[in-house]
Amino acid sequence: MTADLLTLTQWLSPAFPVGAYAYSHGLEAAVLAGDVTDAASLQEWLGDVLALGAGRADATLLSAAHRGEDCGALSDTARALCASRERWAETMDQGRAFAAAAMATGDDIAAMPYPVAVGVAARRLSLATETVAALYLHGFTSTLVSAAVRFVPLGQSDGQGVLSRLHPVIEQVAAEAATAEVADIASAVFAADIAAMAHETLEVRIFRT
Amino acid sequence: MYDAAMPPPELQRARGHAAVAFSLRGGQSRLDRLHQSGSAKAMLPASYGEGPELVFLNTAGGLTGGDALRYEVALGAGTRVTAATQTAERAYASSGGTARMDVSLTVGTGARLDWLPQETILFERAALARRTDIALAGDAVCLMVETLVLGRAAMGEVVERAEFSDHRRVTRDGCPVLVEPVRIDETVLSRRTGRATLAGARAVATLALIAPGAEDAAGRLRALPDVPGVTWAVSGWDGKCVLRAMAPDAFPLRRLVMAAIAALRPGPLPRVWTI
Repeated sequence: MTADLLTLTQWLSPAFPVGAYAYSHGLEAAVLAGDVTDAASLQEWLGDVLALGAGRADATLLSAAHRGEDCGALSDTARALCASRERWAETMDQGRAFAAAAMATGDDIAAMPYPVAVGVAARRLSLATETVAALYLHGFTSTLVSAAVRFVPLGQSDGQGVLSRLHPVIEQVAAEAATAEVADIASAVFAADIAAMAHETLEVRIFRT
Repeated sequence: MYDAAMPPPELQRARGHAAVAFSLRGGQSRLDRLHQSGSAKAMLPASYGEGPELVFLNTAGGLTGGDALRYEVALGAGTRVTAATQTAERAYASSGGTARMDVSLTVGTGARLDWLPQETILFERAALARRTDIALAGDAVCLMVETLVLGRAAMGEVVERAEFSDHRRVTRDGCPVLVEPVRIDETVLSRRTGRATLAGARAVATLALIAPGAEDAAGRLRALPDVPGVTWAVSGWDGKCVLRAMAPDAFPLRRLVMAAIAALRPGPLPRVWTI
């Protein structure tokens, strides 16, 4: 169990070469538009993306993959759910990089959208679906907090405060996603989806998304 | 005299089903079949564009808990049809139960369907579950739009409670290519000013062109003039071109959506959009 938790932590750590640091999920555009300006607005934005956007969708896809659902069908759905070109790139590129890097931990999995790839790889670990989903969401949130710390900018401890205050959201979304059906996935982050699209045409960009 | 076994009076629920099919005959898209029952009507007014223009109407004047409305369109290979709704669809307060609306569209090889329903307006305590399934075959093309309006701004309405789910799913040869499941419930409405959610908007729209090479249309949409008050952006990828927009009011959003539809199809907008 501890060994399996260590493997999952390794896969989802910033050091694992999926290139997560390069993606902002539209946060860069939201910062430039003045939607995210400080710790409070960052927490609100991330909380909504986690509970009402890609956070819940990814956690649901990951959970279904972890429970053994057909990864071909899940991959098709994951791809069709992407709200914009860069969201599509974000999930496909990280999934591909994850599959390549997982060779190092002895895991031979095909390139699939990122949450599906993590869910499939984690099947061999003796961990609850909810735990895998929670750590995945923690990695997702942590990456975006780091992006905000550099780009808003925010103090390191302000960023960690936001991450820590989002733990209850992560916990709740992971618990619900663990048993949710893919057909139940729904979204309401209209503004974040527009920001992710607007990012494509920014003249100067630090992040890939 | 005290008849306790008497059931409560059955509330009148609206049921409607309209199904229309077209096929290619003599190089023209011709009507094959038109079925209508209950509150659903399908009409074919004179068309000035490319191919027939189909208009659906819910004569019940809106949807409330327990209603069931179903629209179907089947396009044979090579046909070209535009389908719209006569007016905005209104989801009224439910006194119990959820209204169901199912839209099922199939588009054959080489065919093109423009599915251009007008706005869906959600009223306080609306309960509506809608599914739109679009099944494309081979290289079929589809242009679709969905606009949601939360209450009527002119009436000063603010919607605080609603149960609305709107599952939009486009497949090509059975494989999902665009899945957009929207849910607007009490949680979302309580977060209406959130900068990731509605950012105070009362109207949101998605316009999508799904076609081989559709990503090339992104430039055409990005070149559209801005409409004051409307926040919008465009993306093209993977055989899709999608425009997302939101605004505090429905009217400016409609102006942008109309311009975007016009940019993605030859000929005029369906008449119901312009009258």
